[in-house]
Amino acid sequence: MTINSTESSVFQVPKTKGTGSITTDAVMESVGMYVWFGPRLVLADVNLKFPANSVTALIGPSGCGKSTFIRTLNRMHELIPSAALAGQVLFEGNDIYGPTVNPVDVRLRIGMVFQKPNPFPAMTIEENVLSGLRLAKIKNEKPAELVEKSLTQAGLWNEVKDRLGNTAGSLSGGQQQRLCIARSLAVNPNVLLMDEPCSALDPGSTLRVEETIRELSEFMTVVIVTHNMQQAQRVAQFTAFFLSEDNNPGYVVEHGPTVDVFANPIDTRTSDYVNGRFG
Amino acid sequence: MNRTVTASKPWKQRTSNDYLLVIATSTLPMLVSYVALKSGILSPMLAGLLFIVSQIVAGGVAGLIHRGKRGVGDGILVSLIGFSLATIGIIMGSVLWSVLYKGLEALKFQFLIQNNEYITPTSPLGYGGIGHALLGTIIIVSIATLISLPIGIATAVYITEVRGRSKVIVQSLVQAMSGVPSVVAGLFIYATFIISGVSAYNGFMGALAYSILMLPTVARTAEEVLRLVPDDLRSAALALGASRARVVSMVVLPTAKAGLVTATLLGIARVIGETAPLVFTIFGSARTNLNPFSDGMAALPLYIFNGVRQPFAPEQARAYSAALVLLILVLIVFSLARFLTSDRKRK
Ligand SMILES: Nc1ncnc2c1ncn2[C@@H]1O[C@H](COP(=O)(O)OP(=O)(O)OP(=O)(O)O)[C@@H](O)[C@H]1O
Ligand SMILES: [Mg+2]
Repeated sequence: MTINSTESSVFQVPKTKGTGSITTDAVMESVGMYVWFGPRLVLADVNLKFPANSVTALIGPSGCGKSTFIRTLNRMHELIPSAALAGQVLFEGNDIYGPTVNPVDVRLRIGMVFQKPNPFPAMTIEENVLSGLRLAKIKNEKPAELVEKSLTQAGLWNEVKDRLGNTAGSLSGGQQQRLCIARSLAVNPNVLLMDEPCSALDPGSTLRVEETIRELSEFMTVVIVTHNMQQAQRVAQFTAFFLSEDNNPGYVVEHGPTVDVFANPIDTRTSDYVNGRFG
Repeated sequence: MNRTVTASKPWKQRTSNDYLLVIATSTLPMLVSYVALKSGILSPMLAGLLFIVSQIVAGGVAGLIHRGKRGVGDGILVSLIGFSLATIGIIMGSVLWSVLYKGLEALKFQFLIQNNEYITPTSPLGYGGIGHALLGTIIIVSIATLISLPIGIATAVYITEVRGRSKVIVQSLVQAMSGVPSVVAGLFIYATFIISGVSAYNGFMGALAYSILMLPTVARTAEEVLRLVPDDLRSAALALGASRARVVSMVVLPTAKAGLVTATLLGIARVIGETAPLVFTIFGSARTNLNPFSDGMAALPLYIFNGVRQPFAPEQARAYSAALVLLILVLIVFSLARFLTSDRKRK
């Protein structure tokens, strides 16, 4: 298939390998997703299904478009002025880019945790956890319970339960990141997008966050970008391998159950990458 | 297989229903209030009130229809912003209009380049001009900028980067200086340099008086923009082994470049129309004088001030034209700065 967009050069997008094995019903699905920054096409023809209550890892070398892709899944992409796209993101069967869809509602149900911890510095720990509710004006009868539940899920409760009134800036980087996870969980989203959530964490915190992700996946769909191959194998049932070669747009080389992608990759580049031979 | 994929921005697409909604909610309240006013049901006061209230409600309703419950706040906000915009627009518009309307009469090319040497207040339009005052303003403001910009930025750097022991004193001094009335700035220079005989009336004295007014504006704005530079950047540079001075000159100031230009502009805007500091310092002149260190100099605000007080129509028309030229000058300076600081690499 050839893409002719106004300015990006014609590029042959290879077909994604291995997708056939995902048959479960998808809660979220990207269909024929192309993404531009200005005239530059950075992602081509991404078709991925995210089955309900599963964890999908997005892996690939730096600059291949993982962050860009994950940001299209909850309409954060459009906040960049030069951004444009083609294709659909179906959430529970409806296109989140549909004309009547309010991006605010999308982001409430599809939460996001960023690479760099970004708690609100002027708020206390407790206020940070409840900030999503307050920002969206959602009422909650038992805020104290919610704070405890969210912080426990994020593996932070024991460390901060005695100082919920301190400002978030008084926490370490790893604690701040877990606070951000707790903040996202407090609004109880259906899907949680995580862009390298552990890149600023120590091994202990990383394991705790991974534990959290596994627990969350009992009732939540998680998409996680990671550069850590072991992490992908530990937490994800499915893995998608992104690649962008020779300045061409990124695309999904291979997608399927994590065990297959790591143990029996179809594409040689996948096996090279997951075995640390490039990237 | 060949397929054409077109980039689109679904978040910017509007349906005809959206447009209909906007048109309806932005015209209906006006229409209703107008009818109520014309038919005499409501007094002008009440009709105005009805308009404002119904427009806010209409904004909320539009938001509700378009985006559901969560859109109400957005809709109301848009209405309020519209009102603020209209208020500012009307005020600015009427100022601009009166200057344009009265100022265009005398504005000819000759008016921009000739001086006032053989002109009396009753001389007909078509003779003489403000070339001398235009040049005078440019010279005086440039000198004032050259003086207050380095001092202002140094002050800001002292407060935000050096964080020296007298930081609080410096801060309150700057604060106090920003409250100095412009006439006091002029009188200060007059008393210090002119009465005492150190200097005669000249352009440089005017520039000094302007600097007193510019300095606090530049310093405080620069302080604010330097504060916006993230501490991470300072840490990063320090961790690379940079000295404090290198951090400031290579990282902090370049990062805040656009903000510092804004600080300068605000300083220029603060003084360029000031008359009072000039009355006691530059004396004024009808000829073109390019030397700021000897003899009186002309400047646009002083020219306008003297002109509008004359009972003669031609002189008043000339003064209004000078006001128009001053406005255009400010516009040029601001656009230039915008252009210079715009990140042209970004598309
Ligand atoms: N705001 C932007 N404007 C223009 N181009 C951008 C922008 N953000 C990203 N890009 C480009 O899009 C491509 C994909 O970037 P992206 O951040 O998605 O990569 P990534 O896979 O997340 O990399 P990493 O693993 O390093 O985080 C890169 O080539 C990048 O230069
Ligand atoms: Mg990234």
